[in-house]
Amino acid sequence: MSTGLLLLSLCPAIAMTDTVIHSLWMSAGVILVSLLSTIARDVLDRSSASTATSPKGAVRLLRALLISSVLTAAFEAGLLAVSPTASASMGIYSPLIAVNVLVIADRQPAARSLARSASGALGRGLAVSASLLVVAIFREALGAGTITLFPAGAFRGTIIVGPLVDQPVRALGLAGGALLCLGYLAGALQAIATRRASAASEGEKPR
Amino acid sequence: MSAPPPVPPADAPRPSSAPRPGVAPHLRVAMSSKRMTWLAAASLVPALGLGVALYGVPALMVTGASLLCALAAELATTLPWRRFTLADGSAALTGLIIGLVLPAGAPLYVPAAASAFGILVIKQSFGGLGRNWMNPAMGGVVFATLSWPGAASWSIAPLGWPAGAALTPLQALRAALSMPGSHQATPLAVLEKAGYSFSGLDSGVVGWINTHLLSPAGLALRQGTLDVFIGHVPGAIGASAPLLALGAAYLLHRRVIRWQLPVIYLGSFVVLSLVFGGLASGQGWSAGGPGFHLLSGNLVLAAFYAAPDPVTSPLTGTGKWILGVVLGALTFLLRYFGSLGDGAAAAIVLGNCLTPLLDLWTFRRPEAASRGAA
Repeated sequence: MSTGLLLLSLCPAIAMTDTVIHSLWMSAGVILVSLLSTIARDVLDRSSASTATSPKGAVRLLRALLISSVLTAAFEAGLLAVSPTASASMGIYSPLIAVNVLVIADRQPAARSLARSASGALGRGLAVSASLLVVAIFREALGAGTITLFPAGAFRGTIIVGPLVDQPVRALGLAGGALLCLGYLAGALQAIATRRASAASEGEKPR
Repeated sequence: MSAPPPVPPADAPRPSSAPRPGVAPHLRVAMSSKRMTWLAAASLVPALGLGVALYGVPALMVTGASLLCALAAELATTLPWRRFTLADGSAALTGLIIGLVLPAGAPLYVPAAASAFGILVIKQSFGGLGRNWMNPAMGGVVFATLSWPGAASWSIAPLGWPAGAALTPLQALRAALSMPGSHQATPLAVLEKAGYSFSGLDSGVVGWINTHLLSPAGLALRQGTLDVFIGHVPGAIGASAPLLALGAAYLLHRRVIRWQLPVIYLGSFVVLSLVFGGLASGQGWSAGGPGFHLLSGNLVLAAFYAAPDPVTSPLTGTGKWILGVVLGALTFLLRYFGSLGDGAAAAIVLGNCLTPLLDLWTFRRPEAASRGAA
């Protein structure tokens, strides 16, 4: 995985976790594009006569980028039609969904069937969405004193978080605050993974 | 000459009682880090005393909140692992510096949050004392300033000042310079023209000096000279440059800190202010008022108590020189052209980010080690 690609995928994660509703739109884009691009790539792979003719290396990456870019453009067009406000708020960051999807796809092992590929992509998309949502809730609740959701009926779409709305921790709403939250989230996930790995190795030891 | 002690094999298990060294390179000094920290804290007591005398209970409340919160955060992150690190003085010094840097009018959640952030995020998250790559006190202050820019700069009038005077001289200078036609030769002249009033003590002393000592020679001190010099102005609790310099002189004498980094830092700031400072406000060359800026805000405290922090400053002499110039330039830019407080805390935080690079670029490995690595 190139560091540049990872850093580029951080841009929309930082920009779109300033409010919960932005992170939800971003999550919807990531899940949809990730799922559909995985299906498309899987179908193309399976249609190849043999592994010798299927693309590898840079060509494979280019193919994945093309597929996810086309699907991202379609998502942008759809979002503009459904919710022009959300489309405007995503702005320059919605095309970068393609990069996030590439990062997710890079981690994806080959699956036996199309259904398994699709369910794997869905799972990874949901995991990324959950991370974005956690960071967004933390940043918006502390950094702005609100949690912004979709308005429905009498609910105007904004939950006020106690006295924080008057004196919010603005530093968390800035890009540095987003990096801080992402760092702690990554650290927590790494700690959980390390603990699981050590527990598993303890269990494998002969008694 | 006695025979050298036997060297254990590289893969030999370390005895459980053996000390566990930290990350190399190691420095060996005559004084323990614990003693150095407590000496630094003790040297700040005169500045704290003047702050409490000038601002009264609010100063005690702000300093107490930052101190207690720093100690509580340190306890909360060490006691669960059955460690007690309060005795090393690091958390107390962090809390004390944060309290001194903030104004007495700041709401108590500001020093509390600054201390908690400094200890929890900047220090303990990276492994505790010795492993933090940023000065916890300055990092906490920058966090509070970014989060609550208004509340973190709420000043109150010190003892002997007209009630309601709350703008610091730096804030008043910025406001005055933003008005058309307010350009004067020096910052104090700008403030005088803008109607910024200083204390009665300053008027009396400066008037007496002018009348009896300077007027025969055709010279005169500006109103506010004494107040700015001794830190008797609205602003940070520990803004008294002479008392801070006194404490720093003691630390230099005891070799707790070295002179290079603070002197180069302040020197480069003064030179830049002198040459380019006036250009920022259209006053021309050599009109930046370096003396006023040197004595205002938290520059002296940052230069002597945060910049030479042994954990976050470069190990090599060349690195210290480079960092000193960088800190001076950053403080100059942030103060004259920025809006983030007086610029000193932010400059320290930005400079700390460069320290690992400076160590990497300027640290010379022993020749034998270099050959071994090759």
